[in-house]
Amino acid sequence: MRIRCLALILAPLLSGPAGAQVHSVEVRTPRPFGYFLGDLVRAEVDLVVEPGFRLQAASLPKPGALTYWLDLRDLDATASVYGDAQRVRLGLTYQTFYAALDARALEIPGFTVTFVSESDHGATTVKAAVPAWSFNVSPLREIQPPARDDPRDYMRPDGKVGPGNPRPLLLGAAGSATLALLALAGLARDRTWWPFRTRRGRPFALAARRIRSLARRPDPTPHYRDALLALHVGLDTAAGRRLLADDLDDFLKTHPAYALEGPDLARFFAASRRTFFGPGPEPELGAFALADLAALARRLAHAERTA
Amino acid sequence: MMNQFRSGDAILTDWREAAGRFETTVGAAVLGQARAIRLLTIALFARGHVLLEGDVGVGKTTLLRAVARAVGGAYARVEGTVDMMPTDLVYHTYLAEDGRPRVEPGPVLRQSEDLSIFFFNEINRARPQVHALLLRLMAERTLTAFNREYRFPNLQVFADRNRVEREETFELPAAARDRFLMEIGLEAPRDAEARRALVFDPRFHDTDALIAGLDGDVLDHAALAGIAAAIQHGIQASPAIEAYVIGLWEALVRPAQAGIRLPGLDMEGLVQGGASPRGVAFLVRAARVRAWLEGRDWMVPEDVRAVFPEVMAHRVFLEPIYELRRAAIMPELCRAVFEIVPAP
Repeated sequence: MRIRCLALILAPLLSGPAGAQVHSVEVRTPRPFGYFLGDLVRAEVDLVVEPGFRLQAASLPKPGALTYWLDLRDLDATASVYGDAQRVRLGLTYQTFYAALDARALEIPGFTVTFVSESDHGATTVKAAVPAWSFNVSPLREIQPPARDDPRDYMRPDGKVGPGNPRPLLLGAAGSATLALLALAGLARDRTWWPFRTRRGRPFALAARRIRSLARRPDPTPHYRDALLALHVGLDTAAGRRLLADDLDDFLKTHPAYALEGPDLARFFAASRRTFFGPGPEPELGAFALADLAALARRLAHAERTA
Repeated sequence: MMNQFRSGDAILTDWREAAGRFETTVGAAVLGQARAIRLLTIALFARGHVLLEGDVGVGKTTLLRAVARAVGGAYARVEGTVDMMPTDLVYHTYLAEDGRPRVEPGPVLRQSEDLSIFFFNEINRARPQVHALLLRLMAERTLTAFNREYRFPNLQVFADRNRVEREETFELPAAARDRFLMEIGLEAPRDAEARRALVFDPRFHDTDALIAGLDGDVLDHAALAGIAAAIQHGIQASPAIEAYVIGLWEALVRPAQAGIRLPGLDMEGLVQGGASPRGVAFLVRAARVRAWLEGRDWMVPEDVRAVFPEVMAHRVFLEPIYELRRAAIMPELCRAVFEIVPAP
C-alpha cells in the first residue's frame, strides 16, 4: 500500500485581488524519496478558486519533455465544487531519466495556471502559481563494482521465463480442428462428395417391385394406369428427365444397357400413349397386358443391376 | 403410322395428304428448313399469323414467298420502312394524269376481301403506328377504310424481321407479338449437302424463277378456314394432356416454384409475366394441328413439345436485365420446363 505523504505548500499571498480569488494551491505526492532511473513520479495538485472561475486549458503545461532528464507523461484536470468555492484537481505523471550516482534531491519546476471568469462586462483572469517541489532519486548500482575477469559478468543474467501453460492453446487448437472438420463435412454434403454421394438408385428395381405388387391384386385391371405410371417414373429417373415416347431412341443410345428391351419399350410407350392420351387401353389390355409390363420391368431391373 | 381416323373423317385424311404435298412443294424451294416448313404448315392450318426471325440471307423471304405461292389466293406484300405510316397500307394516293389527286385502295385493300396472305417484310423497320394498325388486322381480320368495314376472313399475316440489326428499328409492342401464333427462328441449314446446293446450284440464285417454278394452289385457300375448324373439333384432348399443358404453363410462368434451376440466373425474378391464356390457347390449337398432321385424332405431349418454343417463347416477358440475353435463355427455359413437368 502506498503511503501518501502530504506536502502542503501554502501559496504565498499574491499582491492585488488575485490573492483573494485563489484560495489555496496544494501539491500532493505519494513519497518524496526512493525513485530510480525511469520511475514514474505522480503528483496531484488541488487548486481552490472563487466560484465563477474556470480553468483555461491552454495554460496547463503540455505533456512532453520538460528538461533533459524529466518528461511530463500525462496530465488530466477535473473540476468539482468544494464548499462554496470551485476546486480543480490536476493529476500529473512525470517520468525521471536522471541516472544518479548518489542519492540526491531533484526539483520538479513549478508552473502557472490561469483561471478565467467571464461576465457581460468582460473577462477577468487570475493566475495561480503551482510551486516547484523536490524528490530524491537514488542510484541503481554501486559506483565501483568489484573487478571481474570476464566483462560479461558485469551483466545481470537474463530473467527466467516461467513454464507456460499449453492447455488453453491445445484446447483452442482442438476446437478449431473440430470446427474445420464440421465445415468440411458441410461442404462435402453440399457438394455431394464421398460420404454423402447418394448411391445411384435403382429406379427400375423400384418400378418392378411396385408393378409386381399391383399385378398380384385380385382385380388388377383398374390399376393398369398406376402400373404404367410406375414404369414411367422409373424411366424418367433413369434418364434424368421426363421421357416422352419420341425420346426413346435417344434414351437407348445414351443408355445402351437397355437396348435389348427397345422393341418392348416402344410397345410400352404406345400402350401408355393410348391409355393416357388416346381412346383408352385396348380391351382386355390387348397387346400389352399387365403381365407383359411386369415382365418388362423385371428385365429392365435385371439389366440395371448388371449395367 | 396407320390411319386411326373414323370413316366420316375422310375429308380430313384428304387434307392431310394435301398438307404433305404442300410441305414437299415448299421444301423443293427452301432446302434444309424442314422444321420451319412443318411449323409454317401447322400455322396455316391453325389459322395463325407467323413472324419469321433470322439472320440476313437465310431465306426468310424466299420461304414466305414459296408458302404464299403454294397456298394460292391473293397475296399482298409491303416492305417496312421508317417513314411508313398506317395509311400507306390502306390507301394509295397519287396525282393522276389529269393533275388531280386520287386516293385508291392501298396494298391491304387492293385485293379486296379475297386477300389470303399479307406479307410484311422487315416488320421491325416500321413504326409503332403501323404495328397498331396490324394489331386489329391480325386480331379481328377487319379494317375500316373508305367509310366502311372490310373483312378478310382468309387473311394470314406473315412477317419477317432481321434479328441482328437494331438501328432505326422499332421493337414490336407486346400486344402485337402476342397476336402472332408463332415466332419461328430461321438458321442457315447445317447440312453440308443443302449448303452446297444453295451456294452452287443456279436454281437457288434466281428467287423469282424458283418461286414461279413451284406448283401453285396446292391447297384450296378458301377452304382452309373450314378445315382448320374441323381439325380443332376433331382432335381430342384427354384429361391427362389437359393437366400436362396446365403444368407446363405453370412451370413456364413460375419456374422457381416448379423447381427449375438454370445456372447464373435468379429464377425468382426471371419471368415477369406474359404467357397469356390466349397464348396457351394458341399452343393447344397448334398442337392439335400437329397431332392431325401426324395422323392421330388425339393429342400427345410430343405435339405440345414440338410447337412449344415457337408458340410460347415470345410471349414470356423476362426481367429487363435478362431481356438482352433472351435468345439464349428462352430455349434453356423451355427445355427445362419439359424436363421437369411429368407426362403423364
